Amino acid sequence: MGSIQIQNLTKSFGDTQVLKGIDLDIKDGEFLILVGPSGCGKSTLMNSIAGLEDVTSGDILIDGANVTDLSPKERDIAMVFQSYALYPTMSVERNISFGLKMRKLPKAEIKKTVARVAQLLQIEHLLDRKPSQLSGGQRQRVAMGRALARDPRVFLFDEPLSNLDAKLRVEMRTEIKKLHKRLGTTIVYVTHDQVEAMTLADRIAVMKDGQVQQFGTPYEIYNNPTNRFVADFMGSPPMNFVECVVLDDKLVIDSQGEKFELKVPNGESLKQAGLDTVVLGIRPEMMTEPKPHSSSSFIHSIPLQVEVVEPMGPDTIAFGQWNGIEVQARLSPEAGVEAQTSGYISLQVDTSKALLFDIHSGARVN
Amino acid sequence: MSKLASPSSLSRVFFITVLVFFAFVYLAPLYVMLTTSFKGIEEIRSGNILALPNSLNGSAWVKAWSSACTGGDCYGLAPYFWNSMRIVLPALIISTVIGALNGYVLSQWRFAGSDFLFGALLFGCFIPFQVILLPMAKLLAWLGLANTVVGLVLVHVIYGLAFTTLFFRNYYVGIPSELVRAARLDGAGFFAIFRHIFLPLSTPIVVVSVIWQFTQIWNDFLFGVVYSGPGTQPITVALNNLVNTTMGGKEYNVDMAAAIIAALPTLVVYLVAGKYFVRGLTAGAVKG
Repeated sequence: MGSIQIQNLTKSFGDTQVLKGIDLDIKDGEFLILVGPSGCGKSTLMNSIAGLEDVTSGDILIDGANVTDLSPKERDIAMVFQSYALYPTMSVERNISFGLKMRKLPKAEIKKTVARVAQLLQIEHLLDRKPSQLSGGQRQRVAMGRALARDPRVFLFDEPLSNLDAKLRVEMRTEIKKLHKRLGTTIVYVTHDQVEAMTLADRIAVMKDGQVQQFGTPYEIYNNPTNRFVADFMGSPPMNFVECVVLDDKLVIDSQGEKFELKVPNGESLKQAGLDTVVLGIRPEMMTEPKPHSSSSFIHSIPLQVEVVEPMGPDTIAFGQWNGIEVQARLSPEAGVEAQTSGYISLQVDTSKALLFDIHSGARVN
Repeated sequence: MSKLASPSSLSRVFFITVLVFFAFVYLAPLYVMLTTSFKGIEEIRSGNILALPNSLNGSAWVKAWSSACTGGDCYGLAPYFWNSMRIVLPALIISTVIGALNGYVLSQWRFAGSDFLFGALLFGCFIPFQVILLPMAKLLAWLGLANTVVGLVLVHVIYGLAFTTLFFRNYYVGIPSELVRAARLDGAGFFAIFRHIFLPLSTPIVVVSVIWQFTQIWNDFLFGVVYSGPGTQPITVALNNLVNTTMGGKEYNVDMAAAIIAALPTLVVYLVAGKYFVRGLTAGAVKG
């Protein structure tokens, strides 16, 4: 069991408020990702859950019991640190068993647990080594082993993959997801990598400036962001944001000196809002080369003068301008080659998932 | 390194000449002390100061150790040698242990005002001995510790704490705080973390602290001469008395042997402990 409730949590360091009233309800067995740019308070929030940081006000409940004033030891939480924080003078085996020894478990049980964890993470052959004799990936495994050995109610992961190289990171990511499936223990995972967030999470809490901007499933966060910040933060390449003039229930954009009218979802509410201009948010994958059999009133054909193309392998990103603002379109590799040679492409723009944001506040309009 | 090694051979010869010259200047007194201590009085009076002894005559060493007169008593340096040991060892151990705990707290368990406290402790490094002589004498008398070994141990512990705290604090501040956090989550308390994680990492800095404190306390003369009684004088005070006590002619060979005996323990500490100056024990604690 390991549900967590965080209620109106605040934390200040001197005059700076780092957490400004956080409310989160994490279900037992859930994989929760805290994501946000550096300095958004996500690590502070995690340390508060762990009990490593005193909170200024608010409550933290684990399985319904208030743990706000309990020491880390009493909370039954295990944590994997960004730097791994392996005890340098201890062998891998002692690193894994340290927490069990501190809790005065019988020797036979400790031995059994170490063997089980070592097998689970395939680090049996490393048990006698010191941390300094391990590679980055191996240290990562040992750090996870140390957390697993304790069989806690909640796992906390603090950017555990950020010190690994790209290939290993993807491997370990999958492994963590498998592990979670197998153990079913609640995980709170901090990262600034939106790909990690999307791939791992049951639910994501996007944070900025000490506040949760949105708390939802990866699908909700990606397709239905509550504001421009969330829309911008999630997705790679990022969403295009173009300031447009409103014409009734349509938007006007200018591409290569030609004006086009775009139909957007919830045009009625746009009309009622009575705004002169809004920011159109549209993901690059909705701006493609023309595709057969696609017809809907949201599909427009708009030419784009291509300035640069970036081939990514499976697709190619083409850069051009709308209303004098840089936009990115996601083309097939073949269309990308053509766009590069001709410097021009007639885009198929699908606005069925287009989002509208207020120019000043960044809040959603439609 | 390469910068020193690469210049033309001429400048290299120059460097080496200078170095050898200063080494000679530095070692010459030691050479004179050693050779003189093995000479007889007649040989010293008649011979050249730089000449090697005609034969290895150890009688001056025996006398310095066991029968030379230091003021009224004529038991040699031996009793005072043990006095010094009885002062140095407890003071050394206590100040190192407390310094380690201080450093551990000031680097890893900071609290409001801990930086100020550290600054205040550092101030202790800059207080000259002479300034505290009188107040300390008052304090020791008030505590009933005047002229005792315990009193001298206390003075040296207090005086040494500023230094040992500084050593350990600066060493522990380089140990990532995530280790403490990890250990706390593992259920370890304040002392368990110190014992299982910090102490095993501390060999180099313990050696530094031991060498420093041993040398300081062993070589101390001022506190020794002011706060000791007749039976508790350390070896430095006894050496002074020995050299200043003359029965008939001055026995340079005994003086030299006594001076070397008094200096020997610090030399031994350097030679033995020096090789335990190991670095990089924390390698791999954080990402390599």
